Amino acid sequence: MSVWSGKKRALTVLLFLLPTIIAILIFNIYPTILNIYISFTNRNKFRPNPDCEVGLTGVLDPLCWPAFKDKAPVGLGDPYRLADPLLKNYGDLLGTLFTAESLISLVKVLVCFVPLLVANWLNKRFSKEATPPISSTWIWIIAVILCVFLGLIVNFGNSLNTLMETGDFIVVVFRTILFVLVRVPLTFLIGLILALVLNSSNLPGRTFFRVMLFIPWGASAVAILMSLVWQFMFREQGTINQLLLALFNIKGQVWLNKPASAFGAIVLADIWFSYPFFMVSILGALQSIPTELYEAADVDGASWFQQLMNITLPLIRPAVLPAIVLTSITAFQMFGTAYAITGGGPQLAADKPGATEFVMVYAYRIIYSVQNYGRATAFAVMIFIMLFLATLWSLRVTKLTKGANA
Amino acid sequence: MNRKPRTGVRILQYAILILFTIFAFYPVWFAILASGRLGDRLYTLNLLGMFIPTEWTFENYRVMLFERPFLTWFKNSLLVASAATVFSLIVATSAAFALSRFRFRGRETFLVLLLALSTFPGILSLVAIAQLLTAIGLYGKHVGLVLAYTTGSLVFCTWNLKGYFDTIPIDLEEAAMLDGCGPVEAFTLIALPLARPALAVTAILAFMGSWGDFIFASVLVPAPDRLKLAVPALYSLANSISVPWGYFAAGAVFVIIPTLLVYLALQRYFESGLTLGGVKG
Repeated sequence: MSVWSGKKRALTVLLFLLPTIIAILIFNIYPTILNIYISFTNRNKFRPNPDCEVGLTGVLDPLCWPAFKDKAPVGLGDPYRLADPLLKNYGDLLGTLFTAESLISLVKVLVCFVPLLVANWLNKRFSKEATPPISSTWIWIIAVILCVFLGLIVNFGNSLNTLMETGDFIVVVFRTILFVLVRVPLTFLIGLILALVLNSSNLPGRTFFRVMLFIPWGASAVAILMSLVWQFMFREQGTINQLLLALFNIKGQVWLNKPASAFGAIVLADIWFSYPFFMVSILGALQSIPTELYEAADVDGASWFQQLMNITLPLIRPAVLPAIVLTSITAFQMFGTAYAITGGGPQLAADKPGATEFVMVYAYRIIYSVQNYGRATAFAVMIFIMLFLATLWSLRVTKLTKGANA
Repeated sequence: MNRKPRTGVRILQYAILILFTIFAFYPVWFAILASGRLGDRLYTLNLLGMFIPTEWTFENYRVMLFERPFLTWFKNSLLVASAATVFSLIVATSAAFALSRFRFRGRETFLVLLLALSTFPGILSLVAIAQLLTAIGLYGKHVGLVLAYTTGSLVFCTWNLKGYFDTIPIDLEEAAMLDGCGPVEAFTLIALPLARPALAVTAILAFMGSWGDFIFASVLVPAPDRLKLAVPALYSLANSISVPWGYFAAGAVFVIIPTLLVYLALQRYFESGLTLGGVKG
């Protein structure tokens, strides 16, 4: 479309993009910069106001700008200053991570995962060759065995315990990653099973089941309210315990009071919210597989399982991989489910994050309850960096940006 | 595929489907049952009552509608989410038009940057946004929340609309331009009416993003009661010990059921993957 050219065209484009650019600058870019700055100060509920003479406060804090100066609340304690030392908030969060013992533990823990990386690399290499010297299944099995072996050598559990003693950041991030590692594969498996069943031929009532099984996706739009409903299933007199009592005569426990069962409860509820996404994505991918492939496999006498491993899974891979990556990032940012069900608890010790205090729950609690804005923003900066790297990587893997070239 | 599965397989398939249908539906059903139970009898120890309505009263609904400010909360949520949706859609349509119909330097970078920004959860810049709103005098007001939500759904709307505009052939507009329309006129007269379904779906999804939000609403408009939005208000209702849980259930049903119906109506859009590019946390 090149009716206009030169200056007029450039001006038009700019004019149409301007509202978006302004909105992004004011509500995304600027808050990020201010956020980074606050993370170097001791701003908290007792020191909410700026001292415009200190550091960059006068430039960055909007309450120091001439236009808004009269909006600054006065008489609320001392103004905030630069943290002393400057990286205090980061230091508080990371704790004793930078001692020799902790760093060695960190290296030990990371070493245990090296075989998996090597396996991944080998598989990529061999996938280009027509006759790989060893099948990928075996590579993975050997890698996992090596991982366990390495874990035993370096005393994985012990190193992990040392790391968990360091500070809130490692604890919270580790728990969140554990949550992602449990939740995403389980969700994928359930989504896959349901999609396979729904995709099978002449299934009476398919539409009914599809609608019913889709319900949790809709409910996830109001996740926090639905999670409160879920919370009541796990209470002492909740549905689960009543069922256990009636069916098996087992006296249930208070699920949310123990770290492991509280974690399990959140995983279960979050699976409920998120399996329809996988179900729908996989179903879409399944329907694009030509049936001739299965007919040919039938002729060759391939079993159902062989067909699944050799036709279905490889062919849905391109569509499902982006879904897995996106879901992992979303699961990392899960907030509503954990906040409504346990509120981050049960608390294991004073001044320590609770057993289900995942990244976003921790951030929210520091902002809303503790109101230590300096620490909250320092935490946000570190998560920002992690998420930014993960996002760049995911954009490459998922090729979501291919729409940009269209 | 006309392969008729064996009976054993069929039974297994239906067992799986029925099991998961119960799993999918039960929590919603539980909320409905609890909303009809008398408030102070949150748990019925009668197991049957956990699954079918052994008792039913509209008392909770009456209290929520007439004795609590639920309708005010509901109205607040509707207003804020609608306003944010309208603003977001106007801004996003304008950007999506430029990104879809013009080729200029930095276009791809801009699109990728937008996508990268949208993956950051808002909670991480919440402190800074609260401070900004305090400075411009909008903290604790609905307008501030509208601004936050507008930018929150902006990227999603832009990408979604741009993707759809790309599928509308440009030939139609070029024909109009031969007849003397400018590019903008051609776009608004021809492409926009064609994009009406996509605009509607995008609007509804953007609306839902603001409608179900808890984090921004609870921090940016913490008080007073009459200004609260439905979701955070119901959340604090459920967490106050003195209030019967049935009240919360009745309010939650009012919020959850319409949301479910909207999503079920949009199911085929999700299944066609139209919105995959804009999956939100």
